[in-house]
Amino acid sequence: MIAIDIRLEQGTFVLEVHERLETRVTVLFGPSGAGKTTILDAIAGLRTPARGSIVMNGRTLFNSADRINVPPHKRHVGYVSQDIALFPHLDVRRNVTYGQRPGQKLSLEAVTAILEVGGLLDRGVAMLSGGERQRVALARALMSAPDVLLLDEPLAAVDLELRRRILPYLERVRDELAVPILYVTHDRDEARRFADRVVVLDRGSVIRAGDPGVVLQ
Amino acid sequence: MLSRLIVPLLLACLAPPQAGPAPPITVAAAVSLSEVLEAIARAYVAAGGGAVRFNLAGSNVLARQIVNGAPADVFISADEAQMDVVDKAGAVLAGSRRDLVANQLAIVATPERVDFVRREFARAPGGIWRLAIGDPAAVPAGVYARRYLEQRGLWSAYEPRIVPTTNVRAALAAVETGSVDAAIVYVTDLAAARTAVLALAVPAAEGPRIVYPGAVLASSRQQAEARKFLAFLRQSAAAAIFARHKFAPLVN
Amino acid sequence: MDTWQITRFTLMTAVAATALMIPPGLALAWLLARRRFRGRVLLETFVSLPLVMPPVATGLILLLLFSPRGPIGGVLTRMGIEVVFTWRAVVLAMTVMGLPLFVRTVRAGFEQVDRRYEAIAGTLGASPLRVFFSITLPLALPALAAGAVLGFARAIGEFGATIMIAGSIPGVTRTLPVAIYTFTEIGRDRDAAVLLAVSAGIAFIALWLSNYLTSRAGLRP
Repeated sequence: MIAIDIRLEQGTFVLEVHERLETRVTVLFGPSGAGKTTILDAIAGLRTPARGSIVMNGRTLFNSADRINVPPHKRHVGYVSQDIALFPHLDVRRNVTYGQRPGQKLSLEAVTAILEVGGLLDRGVAMLSGGERQRVALARALMSAPDVLLLDEPLAAVDLELRRRILPYLERVRDELAVPILYVTHDRDEARRFADRVVVLDRGSVIRAGDPGVVLQ
Repeated sequence: MLSRLIVPLLLACLAPPQAGPAPPITVAAAVSLSEVLEAIARAYVAAGGGAVRFNLAGSNVLARQIVNGAPADVFISADEAQMDVVDKAGAVLAGSRRDLVANQLAIVATPERVDFVRREFARAPGGIWRLAIGDPAAVPAGVYARRYLEQRGLWSAYEPRIVPTTNVRAALAAVETGSVDAAIVYVTDLAAARTAVLALAVPAAEGPRIVYPGAVLASSRQQAEARKFLAFLRQSAAAAIFARHKFAPLVN
Repeated sequence: MDTWQITRFTLMTAVAATALMIPPGLALAWLLARRRFRGRVLLETFVSLPLVMPPVATGLILLLLFSPRGPIGGVLTRMGIEVVFTWRAVVLAMTVMGLPLFVRTVRAGFEQVDRRYEAIAGTLGASPLRVFFSITLPLALPALAAGAVLGFARAIGEFGATIMIAGSIPGVTRTLPVAIYTFTEIGRDRDAAVLLAVSAGIAFIALWLSNYLTSRAGLRP
């Protein structure tokens, strides 16, 4: 469960969010510029809110009043950004295992099986297709055994055909690994299909939140 | 109307300048002569002579500059070898070369180390870690220093400890910064020292014969003035100033 | 004249100086590329000073600091370490004069590394130190190589500061440039010409290599 109560300012844009994210998959929905990615950045520790607090599973990641700001590398979040950003100088295997810690329960075999990237492990990242890059990025985020998975428009740059093929992988991750997912999209169909709960954002504020069927009319 | 102004203006610019004071002559001289030549130049002007400008450096450096065409009117070298270099290149005005003054060597050190150096010098190298001299390959002070050390049978012991410098004043500076234990300079350089003091003076009988020859340069554009200055250096007024600065008179 | 000894001595001291400038150079380049802090402009200026000041002036500063009567030299002398007029002074002069060039080149390399990679690596649990060694540095490797070659070339050609604190002691502190100068002063013109050819050859190779590496790194030379 993630409790977010933050206010973040950037120029003239102000983001103000007070939400409890508890379900398996929460979708942040809204037009571009609404602040969805900013929320992910704040949870990951890549952006610091001006005020507020972020508490994940009882652990305070950020609290402006108490001056707590846990650095990103200690937050245990798995972030797949929109630009994917696979490390160009490492092969697929080293990318995927980058965040792996010794003695963690999640194994490389398990993750690569779910995302079917086993055959790609010895390839260089420059030679991967769009869909393969997505899956590798997902595998990399998962291999760090995060407490939450933050996905920023994972299917935005992907064509319809590919989208249909990747969505089942996401569903497998949700079902087999039991990691809570925070999923950002501006696509209504994705939201409807994938979400347990939807939070609708517009211009920095939450305007609606609840059941996908209801909220997305 | 404008043209009536322009032509006279142009003519005025092109007219030869009025006869005024002659431009200063340039004297290229060994750096060990720095202070004494400034004093002599003042006396020269007071006695009615013209202005003198000095270019002071190691004599070997000056010789090369002159040979390569550097403009100068007079050259005063700290040894005959460098004057010979200039002479052989045909840069000396025939018949103008004269010996001017003599000098002697001295071993100097800082006040804290002077007693140590006095004791250790003859033990060669003893405890003397580094000895600065002008580059013995060509700087006159260095050539003299090497000759002296060879005469005393100390050269092979000191050779690996030698710090060769660009000129004799650089050797003095090396002692004063504490970078070397001692230096061999001219006894006249002590007047220019700020902290270095005399450890051992080399008596005339023991040291090499040090002579400063001077000559007018063939390329000089003011040969008359140059000859006048060179002659002044050999007169009694200049001799007195040399003596005051501890230079030795020529012995023959 | 021992051409080979002078050349070998120059190459060895230049290699040592290049190695010496890498750790502080990397740290400074990273600080200036990635961090904002008070006094940053001051640091930037300080690092660039030896590039802009006359080398002999830098040499004079080093002499004042490292001569046995100087603040640093005094301490070292008491520890039994001599700097001025030894090979250490040669390496010191080379390092000080080469460092600004190295920092500039590497800094540009770091600035070109996409910070997204560093951010993602952080979310994957890598500490800032691990991010530096596993992400930033490998991605900036061509710039690092180019900077090292440039620093090396500068070290080989170093004269002004070297002559000030190391002098021209045959077999001890005579580098190629210093030997050329000294030989010219004392009239050994042919020897000077030979050394001239050697140093021109080395400089040519080093600069060519640096330009090649810089263009591979995608940086403007």
